[in-house]
Amino acid sequence: MKNCLGIINLSEVDLPLGLLCQNRPMAMLPFGGRYRVIDFMLSNMVNSGITGIGVYTGNKVRSVMDHLGSGQAWDLDRKLNGLFLFTPTYDYTSINQKVGDLDLFYQNNAFVRYAKQENILIARSSMIANIDYNAAYQDFLDSGADIGIIYKNVVDTKNRFIGCDKVNFDENGNFVGIGTNLGMEEQFKLSMEMYFIKKTVYIDMLYDSIEKGSANYLKQALFTSLNKYKVHAYEFKGYVSTINTVRNYFDANMDILNPEVSSELFFKHGQIFTKVKDEPSTYYKKHAKIKNSFIANGCQIDGFVENSIIFRGVKIDKGCIVRNSIVMQKSHIDENVHLNYVILDKRTTINKGVTLIGDPSSPYIGGKKAVISKEGET
Amino acid sequence: MKEGKMIAMLLAGGQGSRLKLLTKDLAKPAVPFGGKFRIIDFPLSNCSNSNIFDVGILTQYKPYVLNSHIGIGSAWDLDRRIGGVRVLPPYTNEQGGRWYKGTANAIYENINFIDELDPEFVLILSGDHIYKMDYSKMLDFHKEKKADITISVIEVPWEETSRFGILNIDDNNYITEFEEKPKHAKSNLASMGIYIFDWKSLRAYLISDEKKANSNNDFGKDIIPQMRMDGKQIFAYKFKGYWKDVGTIKSYWEANMDLLADDNALDLYDRQWKIFSKNRHLPPHYISCEASIQRTLINEGCVIEGHLENSVLFNEIKIKPHAKVVNSVILSGVVVESGCQIYNAVIMEDVVVKADTVIGAPDSETVYLVSKNKIIESE
Repeated sequence: MKNCLGIINLSEVDLPLGLLCQNRPMAMLPFGGRYRVIDFMLSNMVNSGITGIGVYTGNKVRSVMDHLGSGQAWDLDRKLNGLFLFTPTYDYTSINQKVGDLDLFYQNNAFVRYAKQENILIARSSMIANIDYNAAYQDFLDSGADIGIIYKNVVDTKNRFIGCDKVNFDENGNFVGIGTNLGMEEQFKLSMEMYFIKKTVYIDMLYDSIEKGSANYLKQALFTSLNKYKVHAYEFKGYVSTINTVRNYFDANMDILNPEVSSELFFKHGQIFTKVKDEPSTYYKKHAKIKNSFIANGCQIDGFVENSIIFRGVKIDKGCIVRNSIVMQKSHIDENVHLNYVILDKRTTINKGVTLIGDPSSPYIGGKKAVISKEGET
Repeated sequence: MKEGKMIAMLLAGGQGSRLKLLTKDLAKPAVPFGGKFRIIDFPLSNCSNSNIFDVGILTQYKPYVLNSHIGIGSAWDLDRRIGGVRVLPPYTNEQGGRWYKGTANAIYENINFIDELDPEFVLILSGDHIYKMDYSKMLDFHKEKKADITISVIEVPWEETSRFGILNIDDNNYITEFEEKPKHAKSNLASMGIYIFDWKSLRAYLISDEKKANSNNDFGKDIIPQMRMDGKQIFAYKFKGYWKDVGTIKSYWEANMDLLADDNALDLYDRQWKIFSKNRHLPPHYISCEASIQRTLINEGCVIEGHLENSVLFNEIKIKPHAKVVNSVILSGVVVESGCQIYNAVIMEDVVVKADTVIGAPDSETVYLVSKNKIIESE
């Protein structure tokens, strides 16, 4: 895949994730005990042999910069190619401030224009999957198409892909268009929001959309020009989940308690890389009791944990009951706390004796660095 | 000379033959420890945390694992534009090739390396011990005493003094006497094998020692006694804290078990003094519904379905249902099949313990080292 450039676009609509995405884009959501959502996209690209990747960060930049750094964890700290970060800029000289991310792609077009690669893989970062792009890429090249779409046939009985893109074909298997899944059909072709596109086509599309003023977003530009180009679709057959709402995020995390899912996600086409933290072993103390849980390094656990995902460096003290919950990095759960269907963001502190109960369809969310105490106590 | 600058020279060539099969394929400093580390991570992390960013690592015995572990030193922030970590193996020259003859000779052979960095002080370390120490405090002491040599010492239990090199000191921490493994020790201060020298004077002694035909070229046996005879100022720096030499299978097992104590003095969870290591990018560990776990350390990539008690588990270990592991150290990649009962064991990397195997007994003192084709009992 030497001839393919990677682009990851992080300008997402993250409103449905509320508190969890207050200060971070969706791609930076902690996932699976030690990862961020973007790690899957980056690792998939790197494991498939893509060596030049541009990340268009969206406006919540700090979190992105902090996590990606020089790209060392993904072997992307290179002299040739490697990781490129493009942050939004504010143009003081222009009267018309532009809506959307298309202008950002235009401003940073030098990255694509001067790259030696002739094809581009454009992806967003809201899907969790372990995918080998080599087969899809070859299929795209063989088809001679201008644009290649990766989709998956899903049977969505639990409405876990509402709001995602849906790829439509007519009876003869010809591509018709991409729409939004509202849940009208149980069985459909889910767009994984990963597109191969010829570099020349990408530049044409970008310039044309800006000149005509026909689009403000890259996705919009792509969708409106789909009928102009030859489009080919490739079916991905592995596991995929999305994290576009709190409930989907919660369910996607819980999916990895299934050993089949976790072994596919974390090993199938190569490992998932992330920023390292040098956490020591997790210590299970005298009163620890653990059932069906995924637990990262650096934790100290003395309570009861069931059906939960525990991130790095979490402390769970004596007498606690933690069930069906996601506890993020460096949170501290003091003695005799009871949690059920709770998502605790990074560095939260739950003081002694607190009970927090959420609901499977709407888990309770403890915001980043929140300190939660029993009424009347501090 | 760069005033005040200290570099470290880490002696990592030892075999550690008493660790038997554990060091069959790798040098002692590369032996895995504490769930995710190798022994050398402790001195290397200490250097990095003490703001010493130039470290020469002297290798000799089976260096492959050690070399690939150290790499360019990025795990310890020792990948530097100038200096940083350097692996220094023995080499050939016009007179032919030769091995490092002793600790002092290993430094002598690398005088060029040290001269290039041009430090005022040289810290000599060994890659055999488990401890956390701020070397910059020892350097402060060295400067304050205007010492020629500072030797770091630790109080050991009186009944164990006969196993160590013991130093007798006066009220000013001036070293009055050296005793190697004394039967009746006058003090319980043991040398930790950590020295600070002034490079200029050490350099001269290394060169003159090399010329002596009958010298062992060893710091403890030759260099320090000679400097003492010449009236150099030698002081003892008292270190307080956890320090363990993991020389034998038993002490290796004990040092791992020490990590399970609630008041464990080697606090690995201290974020101010992290121990760094090469990371393997494995997912978190999974604990199933059938598992039960007490007082145990577990690491990334493990799948636990059995019973664990008082044990230390490294990476990617599978404990099957109805298997029982007690008081044991299990290295990476091991599979313990169902129905096994394992007590007081050290199980080496990638061993598969077949179903219903019983190793050790609940109330035995013996520690068992389990490798792919044999089991060794500790003395």
